[in-house]
Amino acid sequence: MYKQVYLFILLFSIIGLSQGTVQAANLKPVTGDVAAPALTLKDLHGEIHDLKDYKGQVVLVQFWATYCGPCRKEMPSMNKMMTKMGDTPFKILAVDMGESEAEVKPFVDEVKPEFTILMDEEGKSIEEWRVFAAPSNFIIGPDGKIKYTLFGGVEWDSDELIEKLKALAK
Amino acid sequence: MMNLKIVLLYMALLLLVSNVQAKVIKHIETAEADIEVRVFPADGDVLLLGFPCDEGKSIAEEKTAQSLAEDGVEVWMPDMLGGFMLPKVRSSLADIPTETITAIIAEALKTGKKVYLIASGPDTELILRAASEWETEDHDPVAGAILMFPRLFKDTPVPGQAPEYVDAVGKTRLPIMLLEGGRTPNRWGLNTLSHELQKNGSDVTSKIIPKVRGYFFKRQDANRSEDVVTSQMAGLIKVSLFYLGEKEI
Repeated sequence: MYKQVYLFILLFSIIGLSQGTVQAANLKPVTGDVAAPALTLKDLHGEIHDLKDYKGQVVLVQFWATYCGPCRKEMPSMNKMMTKMGDTPFKILAVDMGESEAEVKPFVDEVKPEFTILMDEEGKSIEEWRVFAAPSNFIIGPDGKIKYTLFGGVEWDSDELIEKLKALAK
Repeated sequence: MMNLKIVLLYMALLLLVSNVQAKVIKHIETAEADIEVRVFPADGDVLLLGFPCDEGKSIAEEKTAQSLAEDGVEVWMPDMLGGFMLPKVRSSLADIPTETITAIIAEALKTGKKVYLIASGPDTELILRAASEWETEDHDPVAGAILMFPRLFKDTPVPGQAPEYVDAVGKTRLPIMLLEGGRTPNRWGLNTLSHELQKNGSDVTSKIIPKVRGYFFKRQDANRSEDVVTSQMAGLIKVSLFYLGEKEI
Protein backbone atom coordinates (compact mmCIF):
# COMPACT_ATOMS: atom_id res chain seq x y z
CA MET A 1 0.00 0.00 0.00
CA TYR A 2 2.77 2.44 1.08
CA LYS A 3 4.72 1.42 -2.00
CA GLN A 4 1.76 2.49 -4.18
CA VAL A 5 1.50 5.86 -2.38
CA TYR A 6 5.23 6.50 -2.83
CA LEU A 7 4.93 5.51 -6.46
CA PHE A 8 2.14 8.06 -6.97
CA ILE A 9 4.11 10.76 -5.14
CA LEU A 10 7.12 10.01 -7.32
CA LEU A 11 4.95 10.07 -10.44
CA PHE A 12 3.39 13.44 -9.54
CA SER A 13 6.85 14.85 -8.79
CA ILE A 14 8.05 13.75 -12.20
CA ILE A 15 4.96 15.25 -13.86
CA GLY A 16 5.48 18.50 -11.89
CA LEU A 17 9.11 18.68 -12.94
CA SER A 18 8.35 17.95 -16.55
CA GLN A 19 5.66 20.67 -16.64
CA GLY A 20 8.18 23.18 -15.29
CA THR A 21 10.64 22.12 -17.94
CA VAL A 22 8.03 22.45 -20.66
CA GLN A 23 7.22 26.00 -19.55
CA ALA A 24 10.84 27.06 -19.67
CA ALA A 25 11.31 25.34 -23.01
CA ASN A 26 8.45 27.43 -24.38
CA LEU A 27 10.69 30.50 -24.20
CA LYS A 28 12.18 30.59 -27.66
CA PRO A 29 15.57 32.33 -27.70
CA VAL A 30 15.99 34.90 -30.46
CA THR A 31 19.34 34.63 -32.16
CA GLY A 32 21.21 37.70 -33.35
CA ASP A 33 20.58 41.32 -32.52
CA VAL A 34 16.90 41.81 -33.23
CA ALA A 35 15.74 45.23 -32.14
CA ALA A 36 12.19 45.46 -30.81
CA PRO A 37 9.86 47.36 -33.16
CA ALA A 38 8.52 50.71 -31.98
CA LEU A 39 5.62 50.62 -29.56
CA THR A 40 3.84 53.79 -28.52
CA LEU A 41 0.33 53.36 -27.21
CA LYS A 42 -2.09 54.78 -24.65
CA ASP A 43 -3.01 52.90 -21.49
CA LEU A 44 -6.54 52.72 -20.08
CA HIS A 45 -6.02 56.05 -18.30
CA GLY A 46 -5.01 57.81 -21.51
CA GLU A 47 -1.31 57.96 -20.61
CA ILE A 48 1.09 57.33 -23.49
CA HIS A 49 3.75 54.65 -23.05
CA ASP A 50 6.74 54.38 -25.34
CA LEU A 51 8.77 51.16 -25.20
CA LYS A 52 12.01 53.05 -25.71
CA ASP A 53 11.43 54.86 -22.39
CA TYR A 54 11.91 51.50 -20.65
CA LYS A 55 15.42 50.92 -21.98
CA GLY A 56 17.59 49.52 -19.20
CA GLN A 57 14.74 47.30 -17.96
CA VAL A 58 13.58 43.85 -18.93
CA VAL A 59 10.18 44.27 -20.61
CA LEU A 60 7.56 41.64 -21.29
CA VAL A 61 5.50 42.85 -24.26
CA GLN A 62 2.42 40.72 -24.49
CA PHE A 63 -0.30 40.80 -27.16
CA TRP A 64 -3.57 39.59 -25.69
CA ALA A 65 -7.35 39.95 -25.92
CA THR A 66 -10.32 39.30 -23.65
CA TYR A 67 -11.73 36.80 -26.18
CA CYS A 68 -8.57 34.71 -25.86
CA GLY A 69 -9.09 32.00 -23.22
CA PRO A 70 -5.39 31.35 -22.39
CA CYS A 71 -4.79 35.12 -22.09
CA ARG A 72 -7.53 35.44 -19.47
CA LYS A 73 -6.28 32.41 -17.60
CA GLU A 74 -2.65 33.46 -17.32
CA MET A 75 -3.16 37.10 -16.26
CA PRO A 76 -3.41 36.42 -12.52
CA SER A 77 -0.01 34.69 -12.75
CA MET A 78 1.38 37.87 -14.30
CA ASN A 79 0.32 39.77 -11.17
CA LYS A 80 2.21 37.23 -9.06
CA MET A 81 5.16 37.55 -11.43
CA MET A 82 5.34 41.28 -10.74
CA THR A 83 5.63 40.53 -7.01
CA LYS A 84 8.22 37.80 -7.53
CA MET A 85 10.40 40.01 -9.74
CA GLY A 86 10.86 42.24 -6.69
CA ASP A 87 13.43 44.99 -7.23
CA THR A 88 14.49 43.72 -10.64
CA PRO A 89 14.01 46.49 -13.23
CA PHE A 90 11.08 44.89 -15.02
CA LYS A 91 7.95 46.06 -16.78
CA ILE A 92 4.97 44.35 -18.39
CA LEU A 93 3.26 46.08 -21.32
CA ALA A 94 0.17 44.04 -22.19
CA VAL A 95 -1.16 45.23 -25.56
CA ASP A 96 -4.84 44.54 -26.14
CA MET A 97 -5.45 43.39 -29.70
CA GLY A 98 -8.00 45.66 -31.29
CA GLU A 99 -10.74 45.78 -28.67
CA SER A 100 -12.55 48.82 -27.31
CA GLU A 101 -12.20 50.12 -23.76
CA ALA A 102 -15.77 49.02 -23.11
CA GLU A 103 -14.81 45.46 -24.01
CA VAL A 104 -11.60 45.44 -21.96
CA LYS A 105 -12.61 47.29 -18.78
CA PRO A 106 -14.92 44.64 -17.23
CA PHE A 107 -12.12 42.06 -17.41
CA VAL A 108 -9.55 44.53 -16.09
CA ASP A 109 -11.85 45.41 -13.17
CA GLU A 110 -12.08 41.72 -12.38
CA VAL A 111 -8.38 40.80 -12.65
CA LYS A 112 -6.93 44.13 -11.43
CA PRO A 113 -3.64 43.83 -13.32
CA GLU A 114 -0.64 45.24 -11.47
CA PHE A 115 0.96 46.08 -14.79
CA THR A 116 0.24 48.30 -17.78
CA ILE A 117 -2.55 47.50 -20.23
CA LEU A 118 -2.10 49.27 -23.55
CA MET A 119 -4.87 49.76 -26.08
CA ASP A 120 -4.37 49.27 -29.82
CA GLU A 121 -7.82 49.55 -31.31
CA GLU A 122 -6.45 50.07 -34.84
CA GLY A 123 -4.08 47.10 -34.58
CA LYS A 124 -1.10 49.01 -35.99
CA SER A 125 1.42 47.57 -33.52
CA ILE A 126 0.04 44.07 -34.09
CA GLU A 127 1.09 44.23 -37.75
CA GLU A 128 4.46 45.81 -36.99
CA TRP A 129 5.27 43.19 -34.38
CA ARG A 130 4.06 40.40 -36.70
CA VAL A 131 1.58 38.87 -34.29
CA PHE A 132 -0.75 36.25 -35.71
CA ALA A 133 -1.96 34.46 -32.59
CA ALA A 134 -2.69 35.22 -28.95
CA PRO A 135 -1.16 35.38 -26.48
CA SER A 136 2.09 36.28 -28.22
CA ASN A 137 4.94 37.36 -25.96
CA PHE A 138 8.23 39.13 -26.50
CA ILE A 139 10.89 39.41 -23.79
CA ILE A 140 12.94 42.55 -24.41
CA GLY A 141 16.35 42.85 -22.80
CA PRO A 142 17.68 46.03 -21.15
CA ASP A 143 19.45 46.83 -24.47
CA GLY A 144 16.12 47.03 -26.31
CA LYS A 145 16.71 43.78 -28.23
CA ILE A 146 14.26 40.88 -28.36
CA LYS A 147 15.76 38.05 -26.29
CA TYR A 148 12.92 35.51 -26.26
CA THR A 149 9.51 34.97 -27.78
CA LEU A 150 6.78 32.78 -26.42
CA PHE A 151 3.42 31.73 -27.79
CA GLY A 152 0.56 30.43 -25.64
CA GLY A 153 -0.54 30.70 -22.04
CA VAL A 154 1.91 29.89 -19.25
CA GLU A 155 2.21 30.32 -15.50
CA TRP A 156 4.36 33.42 -15.52
CA ASP A 157 5.27 33.17 -11.86
CA SER A 158 7.05 29.82 -12.23
CA ASP A 159 10.46 29.88 -10.56
CA GLU A 160 12.22 28.92 -13.76
CA LEU A 161 10.77 31.79 -15.78
CA ILE A 162 11.42 34.27 -12.98
CA GLU A 163 15.05 33.14 -12.76
CA LYS A 164 15.52 33.48 -16.52
CA LEU A 165 14.09 36.99 -16.54
CA LYS A 166 16.10 38.07 -13.52
CA ALA A 167 19.25 36.74 -15.19
CA LEU A 168 18.44 38.86 -18.22
CA ALA A 169 18.36 42.01 -16.09
CA LYS A 170 21.95 41.47 -14.80
CA MET B 1 -64.82 37.17 -42.30
CA MET B 2 -62.13 36.24 -39.77
CA ASN B 3 -62.31 32.59 -40.84
CA LEU B 4 -61.81 33.55 -44.49
CA LYS B 5 -58.68 35.47 -43.53
CA ILE B 6 -57.27 32.44 -41.72
CA VAL B 7 -58.07 30.16 -44.68
CA LEU B 8 -56.33 32.57 -47.09
CA LEU B 9 -53.33 32.73 -44.77
CA TYR B 10 -53.10 28.93 -44.68
CA MET B 11 -53.39 28.77 -48.47
CA ALA B 12 -50.58 31.31 -48.87
CA LEU B 13 -48.47 29.35 -46.43
CA LEU B 14 -49.12 26.09 -48.27
CA LEU B 15 -48.15 27.71 -51.59
CA LEU B 16 -44.96 28.97 -50.01
CA VAL B 17 -44.07 25.60 -48.53
CA SER B 18 -44.77 23.75 -51.76
CA ASN B 19 -42.07 25.83 -53.51
CA VAL B 20 -39.43 24.70 -51.04
CA GLN B 21 -37.99 21.33 -51.91
CA ALA B 22 -36.92 19.16 -49.02
CA LYS B 23 -33.41 17.97 -48.37
CA VAL B 24 -32.49 14.78 -50.22
CA ILE B 25 -29.64 12.36 -49.62
CA LYS B 26 -27.49 11.54 -52.61
CA HIS B 27 -24.67 9.01 -52.77
CA ILE B 28 -21.62 9.67 -54.90
CA GLU B 29 -19.60 6.59 -55.65
CA THR B 30 -15.95 7.51 -56.10
CA ALA B 31 -12.94 5.23 -56.60
CA GLU B 32 -12.00 5.69 -52.95
CA ALA B 33 -15.31 5.79 -51.07
CA ASP B 34 -19.07 6.07 -51.18
CA ILE B 35 -19.81 9.64 -50.08
CA GLU B 36 -23.17 10.62 -48.64
CA VAL B 37 -24.21 14.08 -49.75
CA ARG B 38 -27.00 16.14 -48.20
CA VAL B 39 -28.56 18.00 -51.14
CA PHE B 40 -30.77 21.06 -50.69
CA PRO B 41 -32.21 21.41 -54.19
CA ALA B 42 -33.01 24.77 -55.74
CA ASP B 43 -34.02 26.07 -59.15
CA GLY B 44 -31.30 28.72 -59.51
CA ASP B 45 -28.13 28.32 -61.55
CA VAL B 46 -25.73 28.46 -58.57
CA LEU B 47 -24.60 25.44 -56.59
CA LEU B 48 -22.71 25.79 -53.32
CA LEU B 49 -20.59 22.77 -52.50
CA GLY B 50 -19.64 22.71 -48.82
CA PHE B 51 -17.22 20.47 -47.02
CA PRO B 52 -18.32 20.47 -43.41
CA CYS B 53 -16.63 17.15 -42.57
CA ASP B 54 -18.81 16.81 -39.54
CA GLU B 55 -20.43 13.41 -39.86
CA GLY B 56 -23.78 15.06 -40.47
CA LYS B 57 -23.94 16.97 -37.19
CA SER B 58 -23.81 20.53 -38.47
CA ILE B 59 -27.14 22.03 -37.40
CA ALA B 60 -26.36 25.69 -38.19
CA GLU B 61 -24.96 24.83 -41.61
CA GLU B 62 -28.03 22.74 -42.43
CA LYS B 63 -30.40 25.58 -41.51
CA THR B 64 -28.31 27.95 -43.63
CA ALA B 65 -28.34 25.49 -46.52
CA GLN B 66 -32.13 25.24 -46.33
CA SER B 67 -32.44 29.02 -46.27
CA LEU B 68 -30.12 29.38 -49.28
CA ALA B 69 -32.09 26.76 -51.19
CA GLU B 70 -35.27 28.74 -50.51
CA ASP B 71 -33.50 31.69 -52.16
CA GLY B 72 -32.56 29.64 -55.23
CA VAL B 73 -29.02 28.55 -54.31
CA GLU B 74 -28.63 24.77 -54.38
CA VAL B 75 -26.42 23.41 -51.60
CA TRP B 76 -24.54 20.12 -51.45
CA MET B 77 -22.94 18.99 -48.20
CA PRO B 78 -20.80 15.90 -48.64
CA ASP B 79 -19.88 14.06 -45.44
CA MET B 80 -16.24 13.39 -46.12
CA LEU B 81 -15.37 12.18 -42.64
CA GLY B 82 -18.23 9.70 -42.60
CA GLY B 83 -17.29 8.44 -46.07
CA PHE B 84 -13.82 7.53 -44.88
CA MET B 85 -14.84 6.65 -41.30
CA LEU B 86 -12.50 9.28 -39.95
CA PRO B 87 -12.74 11.00 -36.54
CA LYS B 88 -13.51 14.72 -36.34
CA VAL B 89 -9.94 15.85 -35.72
CA ARG B 90 -7.71 18.09 -37.79
CA SER B 91 -5.32 15.29 -38.72
CA SER B 92 -8.17 13.49 -40.53
CA LEU B 93 -7.99 16.09 -43.31
CA ALA B 94 -4.74 14.57 -44.56
CA ASP B 95 -6.53 11.22 -44.98
CA ILE B 96 -9.16 12.61 -47.34
CA PRO B 97 -7.92 12.03 -50.89
CA THR B 98 -7.99 15.02 -53.21
CA GLU B 99 -9.36 12.75 -55.98
CA THR B 100 -12.53 12.14 -53.97
CA ILE B 101 -13.16 15.85 -53.62
CA THR B 102 -12.54 16.47 -57.32
CA ALA B 103 -14.90 13.58 -58.14
CA ILE B 104 -17.62 15.37 -56.15
CA ILE B 105 -16.84 18.65 -57.90
CA ALA B 106 -17.20 16.85 -61.26
CA GLU B 107 -20.57 15.48 -60.15
CA ALA B 108 -21.72 18.93 -59.06
CA LEU B 109 -20.69 20.48 -62.38
CA LYS B 110 -22.79 17.88 -64.23
CA THR B 111 -25.88 19.78 -63.00
CA GLY B 112 -24.90 22.59 -65.39
CA LYS B 113 -24.91 25.08 -62.52
CA LYS B 114 -22.08 27.40 -61.52
CA VAL B 115 -20.27 25.67 -58.68
CA TYR B 116 -18.80 27.52 -55.70
CA LEU B 117 -16.87 25.80 -52.92
CA ILE B 118 -17.26 26.66 -49.25
CA ALA B 119 -15.53 25.46 -46.08
CA SER B 120 -14.62 26.75 -42.65
CA GLY B 121 -11.67 26.53 -40.26
CA PRO B 122 -9.00 23.95 -41.14
CA ASP B 123 -11.39 22.30 -43.64
CA THR B 124 -10.62 25.19 -45.99
CA GLU B 125 -7.39 23.36 -46.84
CA LEU B 126 -9.47 20.66 -48.53
CA ILE B 127 -11.07 22.98 -51.04
CA LEU B 128 -7.82 24.79 -51.83
CA ARG B 129 -6.13 21.46 -52.41
CA ALA B 130 -8.99 20.22 -54.60
CA ALA B 131 -9.25 23.49 -56.57
CA SER B 132 -5.56 23.41 -57.39
CA GLU B 133 -5.81 19.79 -58.56
CA TRP B 134 -8.95 20.58 -60.58
CA GLU B 135 -7.15 23.36 -62.44
CA THR B 136 -4.31 21.11 -63.58
CA GLU B 137 -6.62 19.46 -66.12
CA ASP B 138 -8.93 20.81 -68.80
CA HIS B 139 -12.21 20.88 -66.85
CA ASP B 140 -15.15 23.24 -66.68
CA PRO B 141 -14.03 25.81 -64.13
CA VAL B 142 -15.22 26.10 -60.56
CA ALA B 143 -16.61 29.62 -60.12
CA GLY B 144 -15.05 30.53 -56.77
CA ALA B 145 -14.57 29.68 -53.12
CA ILE B 146 -15.71 31.06 -49.78
CA LEU B 147 -13.30 30.45 -46.91
CA MET B 148 -14.91 31.11 -43.54
CA PHE B 149 -12.37 31.88 -40.78
CA PRO B 150 -9.71 29.78 -42.52
CA ARG B 151 -7.16 28.13 -40.23
CA LEU B 152 -4.31 27.42 -42.60
CA PHE B 153 -1.14 27.77 -40.52
CA LYS B 154 1.24 24.87 -40.94
CA ASP B 155 2.41 25.32 -37.34
CA THR B 156 1.68 27.72 -34.53
CA PRO B 157 3.08 31.06 -35.70
CA VAL B 158 6.19 32.21 -33.85
CA PRO B 159 5.72 35.75 -32.50
CA GLY B 160 7.64 38.19 -34.68
CA GLN B 161 7.95 35.88 -37.67
CA ALA B 162 5.89 35.49 -40.84
CA PRO B 163 3.59 32.49 -40.50
CA GLU B 164 4.04 29.39 -42.61
CA TYR B 165 0.92 28.16 -44.36
CA VAL B 166 -0.13 24.67 -45.48
CA ASP B 167 1.07 23.69 -48.95
CA ALA B 168 -2.35 24.19 -50.58
CA VAL B 169 -2.21 27.96 -49.99
CA GLY B 170 -1.26 29.96 -53.08
CA LYS B 171 -1.68 27.10 -55.56
CA THR B 172 -5.08 27.88 -57.09
CA ARG B 173 -6.34 30.63 -59.42
CA LEU B 174 -9.86 30.43 -57.99
CA PRO B 175 -11.54 33.73 -57.00
CA ILE B 176 -11.68 33.63 -53.21
CA MET B 177 -13.80 35.34 -50.57
CA LEU B 178 -12.32 35.29 -47.06
CA LEU B 179 -14.55 35.82 -44.03
CA GLU B 180 -13.04 36.26 -40.59
CA GLY B 181 -14.42 37.09 -37.16
CA GLY B 182 -13.55 40.45 -35.64
CA ARG B 183 -12.87 38.93 -32.22
CA THR B 184 -10.11 36.51 -33.09
CA PRO B 185 -6.34 37.06 -33.38
CA ASN B 186 -6.57 35.56 -36.86
CA ARG B 187 -8.12 38.77 -38.18
CA TRP B 188 -4.69 40.36 -37.92
CA GLY B 189 -3.28 37.76 -40.28
CA LEU B 190 -5.92 38.33 -42.94
CA ASN B 191 -3.75 40.60 -45.12
CA THR B 192 -0.83 38.18 -44.98
CA LEU B 193 -3.07 35.24 -45.85
CA SER B 194 -4.73 37.18 -48.71
CA HIS B 195 -1.30 37.98 -50.10
CA GLU B 196 -0.25 34.31 -49.95
CA LEU B 197 -3.51 33.14 -51.57
CA GLN B 198 -3.00 35.58 -54.46
CA LYS B 199 0.36 34.07 -55.41
CA ASN B 200 -1.05 31.90 -58.22
CA GLY B 201 -3.40 34.54 -59.53
CA SER B 202 -6.44 34.24 -57.27
CA ASP B 203 -8.52 37.35 -56.90
CA VAL B 204 -8.99 37.53 -53.11
CA THR B 205 -11.51 39.64 -51.22
CA SER B 206 -11.65 39.63 -47.45
CA LYS B 207 -14.23 40.87 -44.97
CA ILE B 208 -14.24 40.98 -41.19
CA ILE B 209 -17.49 40.17 -39.41
CA PRO B 210 -17.57 42.46 -36.36
CA LYS B 211 -18.21 41.25 -32.81
CA VAL B 212 -17.93 37.51 -33.52
CA ARG B 213 -15.23 35.00 -32.70
CA GLY B 214 -13.94 32.35 -35.04
CA TYR B 215 -16.16 29.23 -35.32
CA PHE B 216 -19.00 31.44 -34.07
CA PHE B 217 -21.72 29.21 -35.48
CA LYS B 218 -20.27 26.10 -33.85
CA ARG B 219 -19.93 27.55 -30.35
CA GLN B 220 -21.85 26.33 -27.30
CA ASP B 221 -21.15 29.64 -25.53
CA ALA B 222 -22.24 31.87 -28.42
CA ASN B 223 -23.00 35.46 -27.40
CA ARG B 224 -25.87 37.61 -28.69
CA SER B 225 -23.89 38.94 -31.69
CA GLU B 226 -22.79 35.43 -32.65
CA ASP B 227 -26.36 34.13 -32.41
CA VAL B 228 -27.58 36.97 -34.65
CA VAL B 229 -24.84 36.43 -37.26
CA THR B 230 -25.47 32.67 -37.20
CA SER B 231 -29.15 33.27 -37.90
CA GLN B 232 -28.17 35.56 -40.80
CA MET B 233 -25.50 33.28 -42.25
CA ALA B 234 -27.39 32.66 -45.48
CA GLY B 235 -27.33 36.42 -46.08
CA LEU B 236 -23.61 36.49 -45.35
CA ILE B 237 -23.00 33.77 -47.92
CA LYS B 238 -25.16 35.52 -50.51
CA VAL B 239 -23.12 38.69 -49.99
CA SER B 240 -19.96 36.62 -50.46
CA LEU B 241 -21.35 35.17 -53.70
CA PHE B 242 -22.11 38.71 -54.81
CA TYR B 243 -18.48 39.68 -54.26
CA LEU B 244 -17.44 36.60 -56.22
CA GLY B 245 -19.48 37.80 -59.18
CA GLU B 246 -23.06 36.57 -58.62
CA LYS B 247 -24.91 39.86 -59.08
CA GLU B 248 -28.37 38.32 -59.50
CA ILE B 249 -28.73 36.49 -56.16
